[in-house]
Amino acid sequence: MNRAWLRWVPAAAVPAVIAAGVLVGSIPARAGDPLPQKTPAEVLTLLGQHNTKSFSGTVQQSAELGLPELPAAGPSSGPVSAGGAASVLEFLTGEHTARIFMDGPTKMRVQVMDRLAERDVIRRDNDVWFYNSKDNSAAHLALPAFASDLPLPAPGVPALPGPPAPPGDLPGPDLPKPDLPLPILPGEFVPGPPVMPTPEDLARKFLAVVDSSTEVTVGPDVEVAGRSAYSLALAPRTQGTLLEKVAIAVDGETGMPLRVTVMARGQAEPAFEAGFTSLSLAAPDDSVFTFVAPPGATVKELPVPPVPYMPGRPALPPSPGGIPPGVVPDSGPDQPTAPDQPTAPDQPTAPDQVPPDAVPLDQPTAVPEQLPVPDKVPGSDDSVRHRDAPRPTVTGKGWETVIWFPAAPGGQGAAWTESLLNDPLLSQAAVVVPGGRLLSTALVNVLLTDDGRIFVGMVPAERLQAAAGAA
Amino acid sequence: MLLALAAIPVLIAVAVRLSSSVPPGRGPAFLDRISQNGLFVAVAAMLVSVPLFLPLTIGVVAGDTIAGEASLGTLRYLLVAPAGRVRLLLVKYAGALAFCLAAPVTVALAGAAIGASLFPVGPVTLLSGDVVQPPEAALRLVLIAAYLAVSLAGLSAIGLFLSTLTVVPVGAMAATVVLSVVSQVLDQLPQLEWLHPWLFTHYWFGFADVLRQPVLWDSFTSNALLQAGYIAVFGALAYGRFVTKDVLS
Repeated sequence: MNRAWLRWVPAAAVPAVIAAGVLVGSIPARAGDPLPQKTPAEVLTLLGQHNTKSFSGTVQQSAELGLPELPAAGPSSGPVSAGGAASVLEFLTGEHTARIFMDGPTKMRVQVMDRLAERDVIRRDNDVWFYNSKDNSAAHLALPAFASDLPLPAPGVPALPGPPAPPGDLPGPDLPKPDLPLPILPGEFVPGPPVMPTPEDLARKFLAVVDSSTEVTVGPDVEVAGRSAYSLALAPRTQGTLLEKVAIAVDGETGMPLRVTVMARGQAEPAFEAGFTSLSLAAPDDSVFTFVAPPGATVKELPVPPVPYMPGRPALPPSPGGIPPGVVPDSGPDQPTAPDQPTAPDQPTAPDQVPPDAVPLDQPTAVPEQLPVPDKVPGSDDSVRHRDAPRPTVTGKGWETVIWFPAAPGGQGAAWTESLLNDPLLSQAAVVVPGGRLLSTALVNVLLTDDGRIFVGMVPAERLQAAAGAA
Repeated sequence: MLLALAAIPVLIAVAVRLSSSVPPGRGPAFLDRISQNGLFVAVAAMLVSVPLFLPLTIGVVAGDTIAGEASLGTLRYLLVAPAGRVRLLLVKYAGALAFCLAAPVTVALAGAAIGASLFPVGPVTLLSGDVVQPPEAALRLVLIAAYLAVSLAGLSAIGLFLSTLTVVPVGAMAATVVLSVVSQVLDQLPQLEWLHPWLFTHYWFGFADVLRQPVLWDSFTSNALLQAGYIAVFGALAYGRFVTKDVLS
């Protein structure tokens, strides 16, 4: 009997050993040299000074926004077949993994790894290629000569800030422009498919809107992709927003943003997270950036994006406090409408509100490419820029900003409502509430009133309804 | 059984050959590439056989290891020889492992052969859009087969354990196959996300990472680690069960 029990010992021991191993492995390693203490301003400076342009790494992104989950093998978004809303929505739900290779400002490759498929964006100097293995289609974009040395990646990237953009752009009094147009209307102006945002892109977006309404703190060090990093936390000072906190892991050595975590109020899981799971700062092999359309692939030549925004780009990096000049004229929402709004005074003063500790952010030139991106999409297109079309209105300030698109044929609001309701996924997600329909996510609420107006904000639905009632 | 596996790529190749061209983006991945490059027959066949055919084969082999001997009444004769139960168990498991390797290799070889005979063979386009020459493509095929062999090792350990529980081989076989299907179903349920990395089927489709450029080894290593865990757990269980078992037949 005794012997019989002994024989079962391995069967009991092995799971125990495995469980122990997993537990030990899951405890965040705090070993290693602790990073020197830094104040938030110092960490911001570190982040701003970082100049890591050659690296390869794997980025994992997960989103818990409360949107209906798309099947992993969802609608394929061919390079230009603009699966529009669907393909951008895709990055708003579930998990995605991408490998990113960068060598200098003009060579990069992003591989979004789908199940049994892959979407690639490859840039080498002037040539930008998009490739989708699902339908074996490729698209090529030749950047104009003057843009070749700009550190702007692919114009396909614009669509991708979509996911993080709403949080990033909405709150700032400086940029109260919602990025919703991006998800909905990308195909028209943005050549190329959406690609996943890197932690860097996200960090930049959030830092761009840091102002006095945001509390910036440095938390305990974290470890990301095997590197110890400062944890920079941006928390709105107000309770009236859905956003609870944005945590940015800043590499202690290089200052590179390694992970961005967006926490929504009342949700334990991060609403959105993108971070490196592995990172190597060695320059990737040059052959990675070489792409030739494979035989048998359908190749489409993309038109060069409208020139107006291209020259604007070089001017962007030096923009102070993360207010890219391009945004202001383009985003329309803020400036023009401000005067007739009670809250208007807030808008003009926005630039001054940038607190001292935000100054170091001075939009480092490292990856300025993302900044111009959001503004150019709604702005650079001709369709939306009807001078006579009603412009959106902004109420509230800081993180509580509510943007209101009046109902009018031909206006942005009408176009969006239409695309929203035409998209089966979105229209399903929108629930009927008194006064209209509500598209609710963990971070952003969108209210489509019955009379065709749209209210967008990172605020609870009640506030949107109140705004709708008041307006 | 290996013949049945070899029939899969043949079936696919002939079907694609006879039918009109497959529109890209439809049907199982890689299917549309076959008509351009015969080597994709092997990939498509492996892809198709992963969910059911390969586990079925392994389930039959692994479920038969001990229970088969028991039902034939030969188990006690094997144990009369001074070989020891542990050794018998190890040899039986080694046999199952050999099958794990043989099964995907058979599919790959048959696929490459039939593909080469029915379709042109040329440089292969990887998932990343990069093109590799046939020799390297063949190497990738071998890697995929190796990946699948590793993937099936955990399942065969489960089959071995189930086989020690019963004297009815069909029961063990069926249970093994059912477990693999259940595991794949669980892997599809988003509500059980926390469980997914622990399911032995979780990385089965990760072999596509071998077709990326540069090759992504993450899934290969996590898969190997996971399968090693399953082998350890169910190997220990099989040991505990088999060594303490009263062998009556």
